[in-house]
Amino acid sequence: MPGIDRRLIQNFEWPIFVMGLGVALIGIVNLISASPERGAFLPDTAWRQVVWMALGLALLLATLLLDYRTLERIAIPFYGGVILLLVAVLFIGRIVNGSQRWIDLGPFNLQPSELAKLALIILFARLLARRSATSSIGLLDLIFPALLVAIPAALVVKQPDLGTALVLCVVSASFLAVTRVRVGSLVLIVAGAVAAVTVAWLFFLHDYQKERVFTFMNPERDPLGAAYHAIQSQIAVGSGGLFGKGFLHGSQSQLDFLPEEQTDFVFSVLGEEWGFVGTATVLLLYLGILIRGLMIAHSSKDLFGAYLAVGIVSLFFWAGAINVGMVIGVLPVVGVPLPMLSYGGSALLTCMIALGLLMNVSMRRYIF
Amino acid sequence: MNRLTATGSPADATVERRLTAAAVVVVAVWMLLLTRLFYLQVVQGDVYRISAERNSVRTQRVDAPRGIITDRNGKVLVGSRPSFDVLVVPHETEDVPTTLSRIAGLAGRDLETVRTSYGDPRGRSRFQPQRVAHDLDRDALARVESRLWALGGVLTQVTPVRGYRYGDSASHLLGWLGEVGADQLARKEFQSYRRGDIIGVGGIEKLLDTDLRGRPGGRNLLVDAHGRELQLLSSVEPEPGRNVVLTIDHRLQEAAEAALDRDHKSGAVVALDPRTGEILALVSHPDFDPNEFAVGVDPERWRELTTDPFRPLMNRALQGQYPPGSTYKVVTAIGGLEEKLITAHTEVNCAGSFRLGRRTYRCWRPGGHGIVDLHTAIVQSCDVFFYKLGVDLGVDRLAYYARELGLGTRTGIDLSGEMTGLVPTEEWKRHRDGTPWVEGDTVSLSIGQGMNLWTPLQLATAYAAIVNGGTRYRPHVLKRIEEPDGRIVRSVDTEVLGELPFSAQTLAAVRSGLVGVVQEPHGTGSVMKNLPGGVLAGGKTGTAQVVALPQGARANLEDVEHEDRDHAWFVTFAPADEPRIVVSVLVEHGGHGGSAAAPIARDVVTRFLENEADLYAGNRP
Repeated sequence: MPGIDRRLIQNFEWPIFVMGLGVALIGIVNLISASPERGAFLPDTAWRQVVWMALGLALLLATLLLDYRTLERIAIPFYGGVILLLVAVLFIGRIVNGSQRWIDLGPFNLQPSELAKLALIILFARLLARRSATSSIGLLDLIFPALLVAIPAALVVKQPDLGTALVLCVVSASFLAVTRVRVGSLVLIVAGAVAAVTVAWLFFLHDYQKERVFTFMNPERDPLGAAYHAIQSQIAVGSGGLFGKGFLHGSQSQLDFLPEEQTDFVFSVLGEEWGFVGTATVLLLYLGILIRGLMIAHSSKDLFGAYLAVGIVSLFFWAGAINVGMVIGVLPVVGVPLPMLSYGGSALLTCMIALGLLMNVSMRRYIF
Repeated sequence: MNRLTATGSPADATVERRLTAAAVVVVAVWMLLLTRLFYLQVVQGDVYRISAERNSVRTQRVDAPRGIITDRNGKVLVGSRPSFDVLVVPHETEDVPTTLSRIAGLAGRDLETVRTSYGDPRGRSRFQPQRVAHDLDRDALARVESRLWALGGVLTQVTPVRGYRYGDSASHLLGWLGEVGADQLARKEFQSYRRGDIIGVGGIEKLLDTDLRGRPGGRNLLVDAHGRELQLLSSVEPEPGRNVVLTIDHRLQEAAEAALDRDHKSGAVVALDPRTGEILALVSHPDFDPNEFAVGVDPERWRELTTDPFRPLMNRALQGQYPPGSTYKVVTAIGGLEEKLITAHTEVNCAGSFRLGRRTYRCWRPGGHGIVDLHTAIVQSCDVFFYKLGVDLGVDRLAYYARELGLGTRTGIDLSGEMTGLVPTEEWKRHRDGTPWVEGDTVSLSIGQGMNLWTPLQLATAYAAIVNGGTRYRPHVLKRIEEPDGRIVRSVDTEVLGELPFSAQTLAAVRSGLVGVVQEPHGTGSVMKNLPGGVLAGGKTGTAQVVALPQGARANLEDVEHEDRDHAWFVTFAPADEPRIVVSVLVEHGGHGGSAAAPIARDVVTRFLENEADLYAGNRP
């Protein structure tokens, strides 16, 4: 229908597109610094990420042609399919560094836990959009949604990949913040969770058990403890100063002092080579995406679109905040990659599809 | 028209309020992150820049002490011993080449080796001590120590290395250590190993490596740009490896080795407890000293060991396969009794030879044994009796009885690399040679020559089952694994593999013959007579042909080329009525079983009985 096409083009969501592409391009440049092979014009990992980005861009544009409301209909089969993939990965998954996260598809590997993020967001948007507009949500109503998160989260923990499981849980929990949950219930849930964790941590866990919790969260951790990663990462970021040491001139990253410099600690490489100017630019681009995302949620023409946008915003928010917080030493070391910057094809694709969906909601807000 | 903001319902107002709140939270968290980044990069930037330039933290690995290996009485067989090393600190050494050559002279080492250990100093910290000589003996150490005052920048250091207390004793069983190979690192089961890690290569060291190795710890050190250590930041203690207790009795092991060593013989000894399957001694000669590998094996020496025609790295006790000679006759005897082809009283006239078709097969005793029954035939090892019985049984029935005794298959001992031996059948020969089985083959087979192959371990387990009343136990060398604090992690229980499907009378008749071999006049195993404490033993000799020689050519052992001489076997058990030990001995090219192998078995059994007597007298080992 050409009419719709014209209106879509008129309402093209430029801010998200430009900011998203900007972050992705910075990510590619930064991966060149973070790659173990030195001196190559485009190292292998960066090159692969370029291919993933091109694929992601194509998928992003393709999702725009599709009305996002179709997703509401496929939410349940999509969720079911992802669960099947998560089960499959435990049996036939490829093992890298002791974790079984990937399904080998010949030329590339698929990481189903990344798809799980999208599946949960779409499923929750559907569930919440279909609730009656006036009734508010009590504690009992949360049992079923909690189960829906627990299944994929447990499967991901089994891989083991606690970072991704954590993201699945907090992103799902974030929906509570924007639904009509009774304030009393909300307070009760949060207070109960905080109390349980605090009591366990203070009274029931021995030091070595706490140590194990950290080890469990990040199995590839150096045997010398998280302190090493944190110290090295802070030195890298801090030594970048205001303007950074320059592209390919970071001594910490180039001399391999940084752990996991292509994935979890990719932001330290950015901080060292581009300084505060670089880190602030990336953070502000993220912030732009988050705020614009909330605006899109606000102006969505239906509840499903609004919740979809909220879910995507919370995905970027949590992954971004946890990763950067860990890199700059305000959060413990948990293995959560930074969206669009960390190396990883499935993660990049998921991010770009998610941005595509945000744009989709935005561009259809005036249609009808 | 249902835009969120336009519906005007109170519920949507809530969502709207919450979206605004969410925006506030997002901005607040981002401001927090930006503030922290500003603090790190702009305010503290110079401090961190200096740390980065100083290269700051160095990680040092601290190896875990490897678990010790003891014998059944707690005697330490493998532990660690101090190695005295010489190190050079480049920064404090004025003239490195001269210092190196002086060290080489004092330590008695080749200058080239010392230079290689020192390596290329480029890219290395000038403060990092570099090891130039490893594992000095006491004299060399004393020479270096006495000149230290004149050698600037040279220091000596003691580091623990794996120590095999008794040198080459039980070397095949204990195994040795080496650096983990590149091909191993690529495999999943080795994913906890890193390049440069030490790993067990043979025997128990290899088999129980994951228990023995423990977990390495590490230290985070603050170092300056020159690599000088300034401060210890944090450390993780290594977890020592688990200790391993073997079923071996070192005193028996030593006795067996000494006996086998007397004439530098190659061969094997297996001693086990027929009531449990516990291995008491497991010897293979020639052997090697695993201490040579503990400090990095010299390539020259390695080549020597791997190309030695006597193959010292092979564990003959479970990997050596030899024709069983007359020790096989128990198989023929059991088959005859079980199939009721003979009784204990059936008599055969041995005139010194046996005719089959146009061929004549001789008895080992030129004049023959005269009228013999089964008992006498076993005692005097009469060939003719068994030729006849073997032909009556046929190859496949012989194979059945051999297999029931556990021959031709692995015994299942908890060591790797065990060989199966060989129990030939008609089918097997047709398959291998394409020629049919002929009765002449059966004749050779029935006295243990020909195509049968047994390992010394198989011989011991088969005889253990015959003399213990018919129970086959899985032989094992591992008794238990303990944590460093003594807590038992795993304890190996006696495992019954099966019962021999033979009648008690059959086993009793065979056993009585075996006791006669030792105790009666004309018995071939009289060497085992008169043991300490008046204990009676039984046994069987065996002499396995390596090549066919004309009759009489074997009369004088010295006339035969070494590699053409027969293999000597002896298997024994004691006490005769309720055996507590079974010993099998094989001496490669040793000649007669009764004269070459039996004295070795006697030494082992004697030591065993003396130990028991000590124990009753209240003397702890």
